[in-house]
Formats: sequence, structure tokens, C-alpha cells
Amino acid sequence: MTELVRSYGRPLTAIFIGLTTLWILGMILVPQLFMAERSFWVEEKPNDISLKIDRAYADLSTMKFDLARAEGPGKDEIAGRIEAKKREIAGLEEQEKQPRKVYTMRNYTRMSALHFQIFLRTIFYAAMVTVLALVVCYPVAYAIAQVATPRRAAFLMLGLIIPYAINELLRVYAWLMILDYQGVLNTMLDWIGVTDLATQQWIPFLQSPGAVFVAMVYAYILFMVFPIYNTLETLDKNQVEAARDLGASTWRIHWRVVIPYAKPGMAVGCIMTFMLSAGSYSVPQIMTRGTSGDWFSQTIYRQFFESNNWNNGAAYAFTLLIVCTLFIFLMMLVFRVGVRDIAR
Amino acid sequence: MHGKDVELQGVSMVFGDVVAVAPTDLTIRAGEFFSILGPSGCGKTTILRMISGFLTPSAGRILIGGEDMGDIGPNRRPTALIFQNLALFPLMSVWENIAFGLEARGMPKKARRERAMELIDLVALRGHEEKRTGDLSGGQRQRVAIARALAVEPAVLLLDEPLSALDAKLRQHMRAELKAIQRKTGVTFIYITHDQGEALTMSDRIAVMNKGAVEQVAASDRLYDDPQTPFVATFVGEQNVFAGRVIEAEAGFALLDTPFGPLRGRNRDGLAAGASAVLCVRPERMQLVNGALPDNVISADVERRDLEGPFVNLFLKRNEESIVLHLPNRGAAGRELSGEQQIGFSADDGLVLTSGRLARD
Repeated sequence: MTELVRSYGRPLTAIFIGLTTLWILGMILVPQLFMAERSFWVEEKPNDISLKIDRAYADLSTMKFDLARAEGPGKDEIAGRIEAKKREIAGLEEQEKQPRKVYTMRNYTRMSALHFQIFLRTIFYAAMVTVLALVVCYPVAYAIAQVATPRRAAFLMLGLIIPYAINELLRVYAWLMILDYQGVLNTMLDWIGVTDLATQQWIPFLQSPGAVFVAMVYAYILFMVFPIYNTLETLDKNQVEAARDLGASTWRIHWRVVIPYAKPGMAVGCIMTFMLSAGSYSVPQIMTRGTSGDWFSQTIYRQFFESNNWNNGAAYAFTLLIVCTLFIFLMMLVFRVGVRDIAR
Repeated sequence: MHGKDVELQGVSMVFGDVVAVAPTDLTIRAGEFFSILGPSGCGKTTILRMISGFLTPSAGRILIGGEDMGDIGPNRRPTALIFQNLALFPLMSVWENIAFGLEARGMPKKARRERAMELIDLVALRGHEEKRTGDLSGGQRQRVAIARALAVEPAVLLLDEPLSALDAKLRQHMRAELKAIQRKTGVTFIYITHDQGEALTMSDRIAVMNKGAVEQVAASDRLYDDPQTPFVATFVGEQNVFAGRVIEAEAGFALLDTPFGPLRGRNRDGLAAGASAVLCVRPERMQLVNGALPDNVISADVERRDLEGPFVNLFLKRNEESIVLHLPNRGAAGRELSGEQQIGFSADDGLVLTSGRLARD
């Protein structure tokens, strides 16, 4: 703080601190706290309140009908009853609009067996996508960082980046078109005679979770490639050569020299890919078209926008956040890297 | 450990249209400390990388111990390379670094630790075996690199300017140590350097390279006193060069017509009168004339006097041509030297060579 003031003066320091605080508040604290708070309460309203209101309205109509027919002193009496009914309705409606807020852990503890199953499956699938992405991206990152000539590395890099100029949804739809019935892959298989589209024979790629995996690995490949590439780029080529010169096989060079060095990048890549795929909504939504199992993010979406139960949705979202945070620590443990290495 | 001989037969290396190494024949004897000396970009590192197997020669054969290395990769050659930046593995401890080659050969952990400890004793690193290499000093890291290379019992150890990152004092010390290790192990050392001091002090023989070609292979003394080409003469050590034309040649000597007048030197190559030539004289072989006149006498004006410590560099100039003398530092006596001076040298100390490219060009 004093260091900042000394280097930049008071006004600039105030701006720095102010902007940082604003960022932390607006981007991190307020939304998360809002969600966390919501997840800890439920709206409690009497079960039959809507029924009561409906019945009161029905009574009111009857009374109005009676009022139109009545004459003499009875008319005033009915008008009085109508007024009383209106007050009753207003009271009931007030009760319905402002339900009692009850703080409870219910949102967390009452996850249905189905939703819990979806949750576990999502975590498992996201982990699978992460492993798959790691397996695919490590060689790519190594090739770009260490093997390719600068020219070729630039081309490879462009090849990776250009698809990212296209909207994620379009990229996912592209995979849909490739894997779909009468899609690119099935048509090609038809050509070489493996399937026969004319007799409605095709391979239902989209019905396997693999379709989601493929699209996700493709969608998040850069988030894995870049961190690994960044660390591997700083690996001294001589170390690889030294290992080879000392008689090490390619496998051993990677296992003992390259992978240990790439660990921080691999950890960051795994964390990003895992978080993105665990929280992905569009990819499973598009790829499965709702035909095979739900992704947990879809369940959360439904809680918010179909069940209209924001509190439950918030609890689900918060659970996912906690699991993702735990995953970060797990990765740090697995790769034996500290926060410092990751921040590098 | 036993050294093996290395033989290069017509080896050349071409990158695109750049000739990095012209067809070269070179024989390095078993157990020899052999240096390849040359300015940066002369192709010496390329030769080293071809011997180690990281580069495949465009043409020619490399034999180690009489065996053609053509189809043998770097991990299966009887060579070990010490990199310029050492390339130690930063995430491994000292002993793991040293034992890495043994690990790659499938030696069990206990045995390789024992072997690593022997080498740690050889390079005097006892007590540092569990440290990370980043926690060591420059000299210690150097020793880890040497031990790591020796661990695989190579027949040929290739060193790519390994001392260049060290400070002057440590470099002096490591020279002696390297030489001692070479003697003790009997391994053939091929040492790449642009530092002539290193090459002259350590080597049994030296190859001087220039622009992808070997100009001369000789022992240190021969190289210094009997250079084959003007490049070698001027690259190794300092040299006063007098360019001119041979006016007469007899009885092993030649008289040259130079800007400083006629000068006489050894005519080893038997140049005939009329040939364009250079006369090379080492700065320490020239003296100020007092009393008896030497074979050659030159008059020049003192321009500057630089103190090196044990000797003094005396710069003289005449007609835009400069001459340098190394005079022993005799204290106060030589300090007030100025004006025109008579300097001279014996004809035996001058060497007449056919004109050619100098190292400073």
C-alpha cells in the first residue's frame, strides 16, 4: 500500500484500489453472496392459499350477482358483505405475494435421488472430459512448444485459435452435424459401406455420452492447450536433448523431464476444463437434444426458469461451485503445485 | 572407463544453402583431450552435435571406436554431451540428476544411488546430493553436469563451452579440474570453445576452425609458434601482421617489403620472390632496441601504454599502421616511455605466410 503510494502518488493509488475493490465486489462478492443467501431460505406459504383466493373470488361474483337482483334494505347488506369479501381477498393476496421467509438447509439436504444422480454423473463426465482433453492437448502443446519450427508453430497456433473466432454454439452445432443421423460421419460410413442410410441403418453417435465428450473437448481444447503450451514453451530444449543423450527413451524423457515441468500448466488446464465442462449448459443441451441424461447445469437451469424455484437453483449452483473449488485443491494436490505455481 | 577414438570422414553439414561445415576429415585419438577452437558461427558446435548424434551429417561418416554411427541415435551412442547451459534437470535432486543416465539404463535405485555417490565424491560434491540444482553455485552446477555425463561411462565426452558461464577465477580452477578428471578417467574429451586460453591450457591437440573448415590441427605449442594460415596465426594469441611482397628468399628466410621497410622472417612454406605474403610476429617476441641491433629494426611512435599486470601493452604507430609490444612490467623503469622508439625482433620470431584471411577481418 505504502509502496503503491510511493510509486504512483495518492490519486492514482486511490483509483487502483477503488477499481480493484469495485471489481472484487461486483464480480465476485455480491453475486456469490446473493446466490449463497438465496440458497439458505425457502418461501413458506400455506398450501391452500391459492384455493382460498379462488374460492373468495367465486363468492364475490355470486355476491355481485345477488347485488344486481336485490332491492330495498337487503341491497345495502349485500354491498357491505362485498366490501368485507374484498378486504379478505386483499389480505389473502398480500399473504401470497409476501410469503414467509424461512432460513433452512432444506435446499441442500432435500436434493432428489434423481438430481443427485445427475449431479454425480456430471462430475464424473466433467472429469472424463478433462482427462480426455489432457490426453489430447498435451501432445499438441508439446508439438507446438518444442518440436515445430517457429513457422509451423505459428500455423498450428492459428489453426487452434481461428475456430475460436466462431461462436461456441456454432462450433457445437458443427459437431452435431458431423455426428447426426445423415450427418457427415454417417454419410461417409455409408459411402464406404459400413452403414446403409437407405435402409435406415446408421450409428447413433449422438445417443452416447461420447458425443457430448467430443464436442466438449473440442469446445474447451484451447483452455487446456494454452496453459500447457505456456509452461512448455519455457522448457529448455537442451533438457530434452540432455535426457536423450543420457540414453533415455522418449517415454522416460516425458515422464521424468517434460511432464514434471509442465505440471503447473497441466493443473491450470485441468481446472479450467473441468470447471467449464461441469458448468457447461449449451453443449449438452445441443448435443443430446434432451434425449440422453441431463447435465447438472441443465437441472439448475430448470430450477430457475421452469420450476421457478430460485432458492433451490441457487443451492444447486452453490453445490457445484463448492465441488469445483474442491477440484482445484485436488488438482493442486495431484500435480503437487502451489497457488504460486498456478499463478505463474 | 576407456576412451575411444573418433573419426570424421568427409563429414559436412549443409542447412538449406548455408554450408555450416565443409567436408572435413578429423581423427581424434582415444583418451585424448581434443579441443575445437574457433569464433562463433564457425561450425564447431555443429560438429559436436553431429558427433553426439543430434544432427545427421549431409555427407560423410562418423566412426567412434571404429564403428559407424550412421544409424545410431544420440541415446545409443557411447558419447555424453555437456551443454553450454549445462541443462541440468531443475526438478530433480543432485544425485537424481547424476543417476538419470543409469535410470534410463534400468539400473535399480539402490545401485544407481551408490554409483551416483561415487561420482559425487569424484567431483567433490559430498553433502550436496539431496539439494536441487538451483540451490548450487555455478561451479557446483558445473560439477554436477560433469558427473551426470560421466555416470553413463561414455567413451567420448563432448563439452560445448561448458565454462563460459563462470567467472574468470572459477574458470581457471575448473580448467585444472577438467584436465584432472580427464586424466583420471581416460575418457576422450572433445572440447568446444572460442576461448583460446582454455584450449591452449587444457588440450593435447587443438583443431582451429574458420567458416566451417578446419584450418589446422596441432598441439598447443605448434599451434602457437607454427600456425599454418594467417587466420590461425591471428586467431590464436595476438599477432603483429606486416603485409607485403617477398623481395628475396634464401636459406629458410624471406625478406619482405612492408610499410615499415624490409623485414626478415622464417620462410617455412618456401615462398618465392614476388609472392604476396604477411609477416607475423608475436607482441612478446618484440623488444625495444638498446645496444645490439636485432635482425629487424622498426621505428615507430609510442601511442599508448596499457598495464595488464605482469606485462605492459605498448602501442606504437607509424604511417597509420600500428604495432603492439608485450613488455615485462619492470616497475617505474618503463613508465615514461614516449616519442619515437626503435623496436626490433629476431628473424626466427617472424613467420612469413601466404596472404590470406586474418581473424580480425
